[in-house]
Amino acid sequence: MFKAITRLNTLGLRRTLATSAQEQRLKTFQIYRWNPDTPEIQPKMESYQIDLNQCGPMVLDALLKVKNEHDASLTFRRSCREGICGSCAMNIGGTNTLACLCKIDQDASKDLKIYPLPHMFVVKDLVPDLTHFYKQYKSIQPYLQRDTLPTDGRENLQSIEDRAKLDGLYECILCACCSTSCPSYWWNQQEYLGPAVLMQAYRWLIDSRDEATKIRKEMLQNSMSLYRCHTIMNCAKTCPKGLNPGRAIAEIKKQLAFD
Amino acid sequence: MSRLGLGMSKTALKSSAVYRPTLVRGIKTIPQPPGYIVGTVNDAYVPPKPNKTHGSLHWAREKVVTVAMIPFIGYPFLAGTTTFVDASMSGLLLYHCYVGFQSCIIDYIPKRVYGAYHNYAMYLLTFGSGVAAYGIYELEKKEGGVTTIISKLWKA
Amino acid sequence: MKLSGLQKQVIHLYRSCVRMAYKKPVEYQPHWRKFTRDEFDKHQHIPKKSFAAVEHLIRAGTRRLEMYSNDQIKDIH
Repeated sequence: MFKAITRLNTLGLRRTLATSAQEQRLKTFQIYRWNPDTPEIQPKMESYQIDLNQCGPMVLDALLKVKNEHDASLTFRRSCREGICGSCAMNIGGTNTLACLCKIDQDASKDLKIYPLPHMFVVKDLVPDLTHFYKQYKSIQPYLQRDTLPTDGRENLQSIEDRAKLDGLYECILCACCSTSCPSYWWNQQEYLGPAVLMQAYRWLIDSRDEATKIRKEMLQNSMSLYRCHTIMNCAKTCPKGLNPGRAIAEIKKQLAFD
Repeated sequence: MSRLGLGMSKTALKSSAVYRPTLVRGIKTIPQPPGYIVGTVNDAYVPPKPNKTHGSLHWAREKVVTVAMIPFIGYPFLAGTTTFVDASMSGLLLYHCYVGFQSCIIDYIPKRVYGAYHNYAMYLLTFGSGVAAYGIYELEKKEGGVTTIISKLWKA
Repeated sequence: MKLSGLQKQVIHLYRSCVRMAYKKPVEYQPHWRKFTRDEFDKHQHIPKKSFAAVEHLIRAGTRRLEMYSNDQIKDIH
């Protein structure tokens, strides 16, 4: 324990020495700003200069640094800073990703542009309005539905193989990166459920403990909810957790076709 | 600023009417609920009514037609053509195009926003496909089919 | 005068707010009406051509209307 503390100390010491010896490496961050209190003022990009030597490695560190030192009015969602809460989803350098999982490009000559998630209503600065997204998530009934009680009267058991089917699906943190990167979702987000929600729909469809499969399938039987997916696969490309919603949607389509 | 497009950043945001081409400006669209929220914030979104013909059957047919086209397209290269093969190929290709355009219409002229215009677009597409079908019939009768024409063009 | 679609939406929102006021206890209804008026007046200077701003205000207003419609909320200042 004590050893660890001393090691930390020396590390910290070395770090400060190193940074003070180095010169500043200023990188420009262009951040989307819009204030709802003055709705008549158009949104604009504001530039902030950050010294990369004084800043953590992730984009979220830079954002926090801007908020702490440059402009306290900058607004964004963040919570866990380790990619498990999905709060800090935003469009960084043209890609939807989590700010806490996105490394800053160390090339200081290039600007980094940060926008909120594309094609969502903006609440303020980098905060998008995800109400409709959550409403859609609610509509797929993301909870276990059973008519019968578990046989042992205590819990619903599942075989190891059945559990393995949920891998790659249950990890989704609903950050909405995939849905907001999907052109189909941009054009028809009122009716098309979007990759994130459909992947969760699939997660409950194949859950061996769930008994509402019929209702779940029927809900998707229309031209809008599911079949607006044209396998563009932006969802799989952008997912910060490395999941593949496109595959899940294809599996639903396959299941429905043989229904 | 209501919605954020990737390309729209600084100056181009004067007003949303500027974007719309003259033709579209004349078309009345159905206003959407604020924030797309129907009912209260806590209600679940209500999906459209289930309809198998527009759902899985439509998708399955689309895929079957696409797969079925492969042998009909490959066959003339290997063993020349017959009217049956050619007619099936053209017919399937026509249906494939029809479904493709139908998808485009559902995507870009959604009923939710354009109302009757969605139906007009569908009628126009159906009418156009009908004309094309008649054209295929004429081609088969007089010219000996699409494959023959293509091979003629290839040689010319 | 012919109203644009957006203007109609604003008026619709205003009317819903006034209707909501009638559901509140009688003694507090004037408070609600005044509050509604004040909130709308706050943004009266926004030109009718700035669609994005008006659309945002309609969205925000609808959301607040939904919140205030709760029966538990009786009075407003």
